[in-house]
Amino acid sequence: MRKYWQIAKGRMQENTAYSAWYWAGTLASVMRLLIIYFFWQAVYANQTTIQNINLETMLTYIVIAMLLQGFVGGVGNELAENIKEGQVAIELMRPYDMIFKMFAVDVGEKVMYLIQGTIPMILIAYFFMDLSFPKSPETILLFVVSALVGIWIGTFFDFLVGVLAFWTVNVWGVRVLKETLITFFSGALVPITLFPDWLRTITEFLPFQAMVYLPVSIYSGLITGTEAYMALGVQLFWLISLYVLVRGIWSQAIKQITIFGG
Amino acid sequence: MITVENLKKEYKLVKRDPGLKGAIKSLFNRKYETKHAVKGINFTIEQGETVGYIGANGAGKSTTIKMLTGILTPTSGKVTVNGLVPYENRQKNAVNIGAVFGQRTQLFWDIPVRESYNLLKHIYEIPEQEYQETVAMFTEVLNLEPLLGIPVRQLSLGQKMRCELAAAFLHRPKVVYLDEPTIGLDIAVKVKIRKFIKEMNQRWGTTVLLTTHDMQDIEEICDRIIIIDGGTILYDGGLEQIKKQFGQQRVIHFELADKEKFVLPAALIGQAAVLPNEEETKVSLSFDHESVKSSFVISEMMSMYEIGDLNIADPKIETIVEELYNKQEKGGEHEKVLANS
Repeated sequence: MRKYWQIAKGRMQENTAYSAWYWAGTLASVMRLLIIYFFWQAVYANQTTIQNINLETMLTYIVIAMLLQGFVGGVGNELAENIKEGQVAIELMRPYDMIFKMFAVDVGEKVMYLIQGTIPMILIAYFFMDLSFPKSPETILLFVVSALVGIWIGTFFDFLVGVLAFWTVNVWGVRVLKETLITFFSGALVPITLFPDWLRTITEFLPFQAMVYLPVSIYSGLITGTEAYMALGVQLFWLISLYVLVRGIWSQAIKQITIFGG
Repeated sequence: MITVENLKKEYKLVKRDPGLKGAIKSLFNRKYETKHAVKGINFTIEQGETVGYIGANGAGKSTTIKMLTGILTPTSGKVTVNGLVPYENRQKNAVNIGAVFGQRTQLFWDIPVRESYNLLKHIYEIPEQEYQETVAMFTEVLNLEPLLGIPVRQLSLGQKMRCELAAAFLHRPKVVYLDEPTIGLDIAVKVKIRKFIKEMNQRWGTTVLLTTHDMQDIEEICDRIIIIDGGTILYDGGLEQIKKQFGQQRVIHFELADKEKFVLPAALIGQAAVLPNEEETKVSLSFDHESVKSSFVISEMMSMYEIGDLNIADPKIETIVEELYNKQEKGGEHEKVLANS
């Protein structure tokens, strides 16, 4: 366990190597937040509700979704590059489990993102925007658990896409497709409740909504009570299925490397 | 320490007809071509041996090393390293081995070297005191002190290689695989690296398996060599023997005014052989330094032809391998030059 924590720490150090780059990331996050904020202000200029969602709830949803979306990515890209460039061979010679190692790297990345992007955004949102907070401590607790599960679902999914580098030549295309699917179907762009019925039905069967939509809906009160626990159940289902899938495909990929030489 | 029995590795490659038509055809009907990278090799390496593993590019060296480290699974045959089958116990095996691949880095690109070592300490679970001692010693022998605070990406190739080498030995592994550790380095760095490898071998009894194209590396580090070509072992034995057998081979390149007219001087027939040389004005002669002196070959050539320039080449591993290979071909049967395996 200790070595994985050290790996995560190592990654945090690496991320601070280019300090200008680091702070540019902060600026970009804050800019995005402001753009989204004023966009929705403008949308609501001539109406008080859209499908029964008022401005305050909408903004709360969008901002929290944006904060979460920043964590939904993962190390898939890096894994894909490792595989393509053959660096994975060196990784296989190390006394650690490669999946856990990549997850540790991911944790390192995300801790840094938390400091670099999330915290500045939270501060600005807290002081300058009228957002609502969950009423009960139970909701807060549910949200935290749900958000963590959602983030891991995103991480696993990203890892899965990364491993696909073994079988597809054009990883970039797959990644763009993945980004688009996630942004849209996770509900990070607009709440899924605004989708037409048929699209919403499709969305309910995909893992993406478990990454952002479910936790944010718990936070902003779109999902409450038993429904909230059901949502958490759905998330856990995806979390476990994706993990099993990641393990399975990874061991297949390892066989591919070790038998065919990559 | 290391035993390899009848080890084979085959790759399946997709065979394609040329052109777009071939590319489309291969989408529907794939033909595979089997490439035999390693064709059933055997050897045993004892604890503390320093073995040079040599052969031309594509001879099967790297494939063998990858199977020994556990990165590749053999098609058939058996490998054990320190009692473990590497590709089945990858993580356990990893603790016992260290490796340097001259073409790849295993340090962390963006953080200072010292931090990389610190991370390796945790990954290999090296006890703190042992780690401190090791780093102190490496710092002295490899002169790392000025490099420790610099990120790897800012190091020169020579500096980087010294750091890589230290990383490979950091957890005091029982076996170290060095795949072309001196590639692209200047003489001063090469000397330092050779000295370091030797010292580690003597101090800790580390078994070293080294591949290189530099004869000097082999001479200074190894006491045994294994030569591989086309996936089979051509020679396995002491360095001294092979030097006696083949190291006396000299090659001289002559630049002639008129290559067309060249025939081997009568005095040299049976003593020297003409090697193929693609350059239009050059003729290369190979001969045994023990039976004919270089000066004799040169004076014979000078008396017969107008020589523009000449240069005497060092015996290269490639020439030795070629020599061995030709010998085997001529022999016809599978009579290998096994000195003491």
